[in-house]
Amino acid sequence: MDKFFSMKHFFLPFFIACVQLAAAQNYLTCLNIPDSLKQNANAIVRWDQTDIDIHSQRNMDIRKKRVVTVLNETGMAAIDAYEPYDKRTHVRSIEATVYDAFGNEIKKIKKKDFRDQCILDGVTLFSDNRVVYLDYIPTQYPFTIVYECEVQTSNTAQIPRWRPMGHYFVSVEKSLLQVTCPQELGLKKQEHNFSNFNIKKIVEKDTQLSYEASGLLAQKEEYFSVNYNKIFPWALLGLEKFNLEGVDGTAKTWKEFGKWYAESLLSDTEELPDATIAKVKTLVGAESDPIKKAKIIYNYVQQKSRYVSIQVGIGGFKPMLAKDVDRLGYGDCKALTNYTKALLGAVGVPSYHTVLYGDHDKIDMESEFISVQGNHMILCVPSDTEYYWLECTSQDVPFGYQANFTDDRKVLVIKPEGGEIVKTQNYRDESNTQFCNGTYKLTTDGTFSAKIQMDSEGSQYGPKYHLEHRRPNEQEAYYKAFLSHINNLKISKMTFSNDKESARFTEKLDLDAIQYATITGNKMLFPINAFNRYDGNIKRIRNRKTDFEIQRGSYDKDEVIVELPTGFTVESLPENVQYDSKFGQYKTEILKKDESTLIYKRTFLLKKGYYQHNEYEAFRLYMEQIAKNDNAKIILNKI
Amino acid sequence: MKTRQLFFSLPFLLFTIAFQAQKMDLGKVTIAELEEKEHPRDPAAPAAILFKIGESRTRDENGYISVTEVKTKIKIYKKEGFQWANQEVAFYKLGNTENIYFSDAVTYNLVDGKIVKSKLKSDGQFEEKINKFFSRKKITLPNVKEGSIIEYSYIIKSIGYSIPRRWDFQTTIPMNYCQYKTYIPQYFVYKKSQKGYLFPKVTDEKINNNLGFYDNVTTYVAENFPAIKKEAYVNNINNYVSSVSHELATIDIPRVLLKSISTNWDNITNEIYKMDDFGLELNKKGYFEDELAPILKGLEKRDDKIAAILNFVKSKVKWNGYESYLCDDGVKAAYKNQLGNAAEINLMLVAMLRSAGIDANPVLLSTQSNGVVLFPSRTAFNYVIAAVEITEDLILLDATEQFSEPNILPLRDLNWTGRLIRKEGSSTDIDLFPKTLAKEAVNMSVSINPDATANGKIRCQLACHEALVYRQNNKSVNDEVYLETLENKYKAIEVDDYKRENLLDNTKPIMETYSFKDSNSAELIDGKIYFSPLLFLGLKENPFKQETREYPIDFNYPFQKKYNINVTLPEGYAVESLPQPVNMITGDDIGDFKYMIVANQNQIQVSVLMDIYKPLVASDFYEVVKDFYQKVVDKENEKVVLVKQ
Repeated sequence: MDKFFSMKHFFLPFFIACVQLAAAQNYLTCLNIPDSLKQNANAIVRWDQTDIDIHSQRNMDIRKKRVVTVLNETGMAAIDAYEPYDKRTHVRSIEATVYDAFGNEIKKIKKKDFRDQCILDGVTLFSDNRVVYLDYIPTQYPFTIVYECEVQTSNTAQIPRWRPMGHYFVSVEKSLLQVTCPQELGLKKQEHNFSNFNIKKIVEKDTQLSYEASGLLAQKEEYFSVNYNKIFPWALLGLEKFNLEGVDGTAKTWKEFGKWYAESLLSDTEELPDATIAKVKTLVGAESDPIKKAKIIYNYVQQKSRYVSIQVGIGGFKPMLAKDVDRLGYGDCKALTNYTKALLGAVGVPSYHTVLYGDHDKIDMESEFISVQGNHMILCVPSDTEYYWLECTSQDVPFGYQANFTDDRKVLVIKPEGGEIVKTQNYRDESNTQFCNGTYKLTTDGTFSAKIQMDSEGSQYGPKYHLEHRRPNEQEAYYKAFLSHINNLKISKMTFSNDKESARFTEKLDLDAIQYATITGNKMLFPINAFNRYDGNIKRIRNRKTDFEIQRGSYDKDEVIVELPTGFTVESLPENVQYDSKFGQYKTEILKKDESTLIYKRTFLLKKGYYQHNEYEAFRLYMEQIAKNDNAKIILNKI
Repeated sequence: MKTRQLFFSLPFLLFTIAFQAQKMDLGKVTIAELEEKEHPRDPAAPAAILFKIGESRTRDENGYISVTEVKTKIKIYKKEGFQWANQEVAFYKLGNTENIYFSDAVTYNLVDGKIVKSKLKSDGQFEEKINKFFSRKKITLPNVKEGSIIEYSYIIKSIGYSIPRRWDFQTTIPMNYCQYKTYIPQYFVYKKSQKGYLFPKVTDEKINNNLGFYDNVTTYVAENFPAIKKEAYVNNINNYVSSVSHELATIDIPRVLLKSISTNWDNITNEIYKMDDFGLELNKKGYFEDELAPILKGLEKRDDKIAAILNFVKSKVKWNGYESYLCDDGVKAAYKNQLGNAAEINLMLVAMLRSAGIDANPVLLSTQSNGVVLFPSRTAFNYVIAAVEITEDLILLDATEQFSEPNILPLRDLNWTGRLIRKEGSSTDIDLFPKTLAKEAVNMSVSINPDATANGKIRCQLACHEALVYRQNNKSVNDEVYLETLENKYKAIEVDDYKRENLLDNTKPIMETYSFKDSNSAELIDGKIYFSPLLFLGLKENPFKQETREYPIDFNYPFQKKYNINVTLPEGYAVESLPQPVNMITGDDIGDFKYMIVANQNQIQVSVLMDIYKPLVASDFYEVVKDFYQKVVDKENEKVVLVKQ
């Protein structure tokens, strides 16, 4: 019996390997690719197999085999031969073999021929994280590459996501995921968007999981499309008992997870020097309102610190000590959040670390899936009625301002009693305002001179307030792009004021431009809307397939006095219009104040919303209609 | 070459240097400096370099080593300047031949009227491996706030007697004082290359050292050099940064060695020619003849042979992305592996042309990203192409680029002048800028409908560099995506019946034909139709927006845009007014513009021609170019008015 068993154990893996190899062989030639997979494709993933074997809470092996036929240069990205590693993640083997269109081997690439370099994201000063990757320059297209690697890690808290369609314009012939795991670790999964794609669940057990996707057609990346994760298939994998950067953890609920996070990664990090405590207490003085105190502390942190990202050791998760931030005056998002929390604690204001995805795109924490997630940390300060959210990496953002980076999304708040999923503040359409008031006048030769004031709030404040500190040539370039429809624009004066308390940014401009109006014979033509012109850049998309989303609405209101040149009479004025649709409300109105003065009024409310792909053309036409009306012209006649 | 004059035609500033060296020391921060709120000459500057003082020496310590010491003091005015508190210096790590040491790194702040020092400790210092050759050291200074002053110094030690680094006297923030001193033992002669719009003051002296010989000491002093600004149409801003670099020219150690390395172009080209990785590789034979012979069979004309050989090399060996004039694995290995660097590919090309009886030679050049070559220097070059000398002209060839053609080189090559090296060793300067206009020719026939929509057909032809750039951008773009891009480039026209020819055939121009529907260009106002006869074609905005310009305008290559348009009017409408024809020429032969328009019953014919002859235009002519473009934009958007009869 013993012998039989040993034989079986010896032969079985060998047998499986042979079957898989035979299957893979078919993928080496480019001659048998179905036409449907070639359509819109720059590359075809012929075979993609990921085997994840979790041996214990602290030991996981990941083996990948990927066969990709690359049809052209753009398809090179689909090879995905890129393995990050660090002190706890080891690339045991990595290699690739290249075949020509007929399946003949042309090159073998060994581990030593892969490139090895540190991962730099452009803001990180220093990081332990490195990557080995393939830098292959093809001598011909098409070709097929077989990439194999084996990675071992103790980081079982971060099981790679399965994303069979990792790229746009790449089709997938076959993609397999196989996961094994000891029962006691509590393997769990969350599937997204499987139903619209040909994905089979082969095995679905506590100890084993296997998916197979086949015949996934290449997808076009469409302008204004919703996030990839909302439409294409992917699966999130996790364990109830896991290990993160050497620290064991167990969590079945966010409450437990938050407790573990606080105890293992955040405890004993908030100690501050006595002198600093005394200093902030003096700063706060007799103030008793917790939010007013928090504003004083937040301002102190903004004046004292700067953002420097250093990812060393467990630095990806554990914040630098508050006393070190105090001494050095810099830190990353975790360090500065933790420091702010420590200072608030010193003046008796409670606050909570908050983990989330910081992105212009509103990405939620997957609230139904308890696992290590997120890429950013902010601070949550509770008042009696609401939460205030503090971005501690910025030296100039107003207290509690979140628009465009951390707003309106599910986040994990780590309270002393445990974690909790909370939604951050939503910036309502009507609160994202730009109000423009001004006057412009024209002379008889069509020259235009103007004085305007623009006030921006809500999500429209964020992209503008930096302008104040830009160099004059950059400010000038900004306005020449912003008002690019005005040829010959000259900016004679720019003044700014930034009201941080109410997050309102005010721009005042004096402008002039020769030949703003076109003179044709004895007529003068010019667009009445000089300052806030929507230029219709919603693209026409053929056969739109993906849904689209307006993540943040906005409300613009313009009121401009137009002084007409002497010696001219109005031949025609643009009509007053009102365009209402599910996407927004737009209205323009022209009032005649006297013979030579008009008042132009324009309001535009753009509504936040998620829309189906077949509504895109209606949206585009709606915006095009607005663009046309924004360009409507006055015609004057010379007397 | 005329363009080279650019650098010298400008009056460069002369400074009276009040020597402040004694004040320029680390650790001497004053309250006044800390209190300063903005830079006196550039109030918007986020930070400024108060001083940057460096010196390079060659020392004999059981073999030569070169040591560069740099001391820097920086004032931070604004939060936008915090990045200056992070510093990094890369060094050559392989074989431990070089190392770098940071020291004296301190931040100074004013706290309650007192100067407070925060020293850099080990937790703010990092060493990072970039790849197997290079590493870099980084520091991040503590407690940096608005108003802080930071100081640091570093030493680079490298084995050998070269001064490997370029020294910049200018950067993106103002430079108040910059001094660089080189101590060079009398046995070494270096070639110095200075670049930029502003030049530091230079003094030379001889100082005896106690080893029995003297050092040639050169001191460069730059005072109050302004910040470098980025501008559009500049292909490499480093060309305009004030800097000096050194290259060893002669070594003359008594009774040991006399070696002349590089003094003039002929020496330099000779030197390069003699290098194994250049001359030897160029003259290798016996690896391509068998395969080349059938390609050339039956070809008699010189140009046919050249085209065939260029295509053969392009199809045979792919470029690995490395710019070099020296071979790496050698031409034979590159031929066998079908992969090589610029030298392997283009030296192979020269060898094949020569074997076919064509008088071909290599041309050394510096690519756009490497900057402009101003002085004879070996290290100034980083690339090589091929040239065939014909009567009073040259045919330039570069086989690294799939879509290149004879005299249509990839843009990276179009960088002022190159140096052609002939077989017998003589060499000559050649102009790399293309002479032929890259042409875009569009024929459009369009009918305007009574509702102010338009239907029409377009035939567009692109040649020379316009075609090269088009091919590079679109060779693997999906058809549907391309059409969307085309439709949106032209303000959401609807394109139908699209056909394209010669996308991959370089020998012919790109040809596109399509029909379109346009509902955005013409306007119906009170029964009159207003439209520009170019509709969505032509320039809509002046690309030159800034009021003044400091650096030359790089157009890369000369070009021509030509539109022939035939407009059919809607039934029952007649022309009320037409734009006036125009014919304008800029001064100094930069460009010209012609706009002709004729109305004839229910048709309007328009022909528009714009030429830019100069690929590089001096900033003195910025106003001229800006004004010229503005007139073009105005005319191309001027409207025809149609009135109902």
